Amino acid sequence: MIQGLQSRWNRWLARRIPPAKNLRLSQRQIFIIPSRVGAMFILALILMLLAAINYQNSLAYGLTFLLGSVFIVAILHTYLNLSGLMLKSGPAEPVFVGEHARFNVRLESERRAHEAIVLGWPSQGMLQLDVAALSGSDAELGLPATSRGWLRPGRVRVESRFPLGILVAWSWVDLDLQLLVYPRPVEGDLPIGAGLGDDPQEQGARAHGSGADDFQGLRAYQPSDSKRRLHWKAYSRGLGLLVKDFTALSGRDISLDFSALASDTEARLSLLCYWVLQLSERQQPFSLALPGVYIGVDSGEQHRDRCLRALTLFGSSFAEPGAPA
Amino acid sequence: MNKPQSIPRVSLTWLLIAQLLVIIPHLGHLPLWVVGLWLGCAAWRVQIYRMRARFPNAWLKGALMLAAGIGVFVSRGSLVGLDAGVVLLIAAFVLKLVEVRTRRDALVLIFLGFFTVVTAYLFDDSMLSAIFSLLPVSALLAAMIGLQQSTLATRPWATAKLAGSLLLQALPLMLLLFLFFPRMGPLWSLPGANAKGVTGLSDSMAPADIAELSQSSELAFRASFEGQPPPRNQLYWRALTLDRFDGRRWSQSGFARLPLQPSWRKQGEPINYQIVMQPSARPWLFSLDVAQTSLEGTRMMSDFRLQRKQPVDRSLLYNLTSWPQALLEPAASTETLRRALQLPDGGDPRSRAWARQLKQQYPQDEQLVQAVLRNFNRQPFHYTLRPKAVGVNSIDDFLFETRSGFCAHYAGSMTFVLRAAGIPARVVAGYQGGELNPSGNYLQVRQFDAHAWVEYWQAGKGWLRVDPTFEVAPERIELGLEEAVAGENSFLEKSPFSPLRYRQLAWLNQFRLAWDQVNYDWQRWVLGYQGAQQLELFQRWFGKVDGRWLALCLVGGGAIVLALIALFLFKPWQHQRDQQQRVFRRFERLLARHALVRQPAEGPRDFARRAAQALPGQARQIQQFARAFEAQRYGGQGQSLAILEQHLRALRRALPWRLT
Repeated sequence: MIQGLQSRWNRWLARRIPPAKNLRLSQRQIFIIPSRVGAMFILALILMLLAAINYQNSLAYGLTFLLGSVFIVAILHTYLNLSGLMLKSGPAEPVFVGEHARFNVRLESERRAHEAIVLGWPSQGMLQLDVAALSGSDAELGLPATSRGWLRPGRVRVESRFPLGILVAWSWVDLDLQLLVYPRPVEGDLPIGAGLGDDPQEQGARAHGSGADDFQGLRAYQPSDSKRRLHWKAYSRGLGLLVKDFTALSGRDISLDFSALASDTEARLSLLCYWVLQLSERQQPFSLALPGVYIGVDSGEQHRDRCLRALTLFGSSFAEPGAPA
Repeated sequence: MNKPQSIPRVSLTWLLIAQLLVIIPHLGHLPLWVVGLWLGCAAWRVQIYRMRARFPNAWLKGALMLAAGIGVFVSRGSLVGLDAGVVLLIAAFVLKLVEVRTRRDALVLIFLGFFTVVTAYLFDDSMLSAIFSLLPVSALLAAMIGLQQSTLATRPWATAKLAGSLLLQALPLMLLLFLFFPRMGPLWSLPGANAKGVTGLSDSMAPADIAELSQSSELAFRASFEGQPPPRNQLYWRALTLDRFDGRRWSQSGFARLPLQPSWRKQGEPINYQIVMQPSARPWLFSLDVAQTSLEGTRMMSDFRLQRKQPVDRSLLYNLTSWPQALLEPAASTETLRRALQLPDGGDPRSRAWARQLKQQYPQDEQLVQAVLRNFNRQPFHYTLRPKAVGVNSIDDFLFETRSGFCAHYAGSMTFVLRAAGIPARVVAGYQGGELNPSGNYLQVRQFDAHAWVEYWQAGKGWLRVDPTFEVAPERIELGLEEAVAGENSFLEKSPFSPLRYRQLAWLNQFRLAWDQVNYDWQRWVLGYQGAQQLELFQRWFGKVDGRWLALCLVGGGAIVLALIALFLFKPWQHQRDQQQRVFRRFERLLARHALVRQPAEGPRDFARRAAQALPGQARQIQQFARAFEAQRYGGQGQSLAILEQHLRALRRALPWRLT
């Protein structure tokens, strides 16, 4: 019953406030009702009215009516504080499982100031911020990334109780927020034969999970080096810009093959993810083979992102690459 | 928003101010220690905010509450009743401040504050206190707004301004509600404010009491008539009768307290008028002679006085119809007559002898009464507020020795003599006369208009009024007390600054009368705006009305008012693009002073380029403005208007000053 209502509500909401990257709040999106404080306020007014009636005191009537009118006028003010607010979803960086996903939402004022706007998901704690007249404020909404794939937090609640707190105006807006949650990288050995060639004698092509012996030392930074390999600790000690140098495993390009691994899907994806990151850091070309997906030998950030995306979306119904339906 | 939040500074500031403003109107009836308590609690709370003190723990809180309760009990003698209740409320309101941690606590405090403002109205409902109460209400609203603001907000005035504008916008709706909200009678009775120290008539009278009243210029009531008020010498405002004499004092007998409706017959022209009484702490109402009123909970007692169930403890408005020529109790009961003949067992032998002598001389009662009045008129009686002292036989001494006194002496001695001569008689206490406010056409009756006169009874004619004072000092009745005692300067001698003593100063007198009229209108139209008044007003305006009609007015009027406020707030005709355009027009006007006028087809960019060439010294500022304008207007850049303004200001500063 409750679920039925919930889904009907969601359907109705989807019709009324369709997803959009940018949204201007207007009467179509804003709902308003008295808050719990408002209920207390009304109760206090009823008590005051009773006092006015029983003491036949015109001034007590007057104050009760004045505050009652303030309540009604506050409906306009509360609505006004939300109305005309522009919400824009910003770019969101992919994260790994277990990390904190951050969504950027920009709030912009079209005309008037919007004070004490509360934004977020009620389960995650809400964020309060002010938007000055004709300017904007950025909000960063956090959410723990718990599973691989597209993270779509769904509708965001925007609410405002300003000025008196006796009414709450709110909206559930779908800003089309989404980001990729990569599998959690898990350290481990790649099986022998990960090398592209099928010659088992080529021991040099074998890569070790530990990676310790691949690390050769530090050398001076050159503009072509990846910034990810900068040795920041050394820099902070004043030793200049150094990069961690790894032995380039000679000769063979490495093939990361899902089917060559033996464990459950998520563990295999985590291991592959780890190696995609490792090899990319070493700037070593590799290929990635997943059932149904093959990404040829390449290196560089673009290649890495493509591979991570493939790992992330593995097994999901979404076509690769492409935006979600 | 679930976790308790601390209180922003702006809110705390306004809470403190609001508390002070809420307490100020109560100062008159608060024990002093509550003020001390407030000072202590406010200082404590500020120290808590500055992290130099801690919140009280549960034990301390309990102890403080208990101490406050005991304090109220000690200073008020009880914990119930309005007086003690209000002190208790304020003590709680003050103590709550110290333990306000979260926003919820602050809200409780604010709502308590609104309630405390209401209780102040029960003690003082004058116009000035009503206007003053807008201050604490605004401060409480500002504190409420402050609670919603972020803790970074530090401009208390901006918050107060918002609170003020909310109140201002609520005003029209409030007036509508005030006019149209149906009024009803009290649902249950509540203890009223103790009108302590109220001067006025009491139910027993020794001459000294009236002398004391005659020194008070406090208002007793105001009366307005439909049409011309009766002549001054007919204005006998009856309050109660005193039918028991113990040799010194006249008082009301227990019999007079019984609600026995006396018989009477309306005669002559009725007089319609309205009275607004000041609180008297007594249950009786004032009226001309014998009167009927529509006021609920009021009945006529056995001596024709009007009495309410409760004492009049706040100003009271009622409408009256009087019949000055009515026939009062033409056939009085023997019990009534027996009481109207009561005399003390002994004392005043000369007066009794004189009465017997008169009785023999004048077998007709009316002749006898005339003879007594004549005696006052012919003998050297002297009207004075400073009578000579009398001995044990007070009536004898007054009638035959001192012969100086005022109304209470004359009325008391005449009643005594009439009774001694076998004529039922009693003293009537009330007011006589009043000052006409010419602009408002109403009468103000003050305590010094207190008066006492005599009623005697004749079979078939009922009770008849006689005023012995008139025989001695007709100016007291025709003109007033001030004129009656003009020779001895005893008028209001104990209140040298009373404006009534300076009536000869025309401007001061005019101001006094105008101010009094404002207050009277306030009492009649605002304080007296209860059920009957409301219905009467609507019937006068719109003819017949009913509840549905009222509801319609309220909803319809409310909708219109709300729509107007919404229009004012939303300003749908104003858009941001217009605001940008407006800044650009100012830019154009600025350059026009330097003979640079934009051509009709010239775009902002071309115009700026041309202007920059013409004014190379300010080229940078001109270009900056034009770029910013373009970026905002065409680039879709959601930048702030403030930046445009800033660039414009920079340009204005850079340009040499020129008038047109």
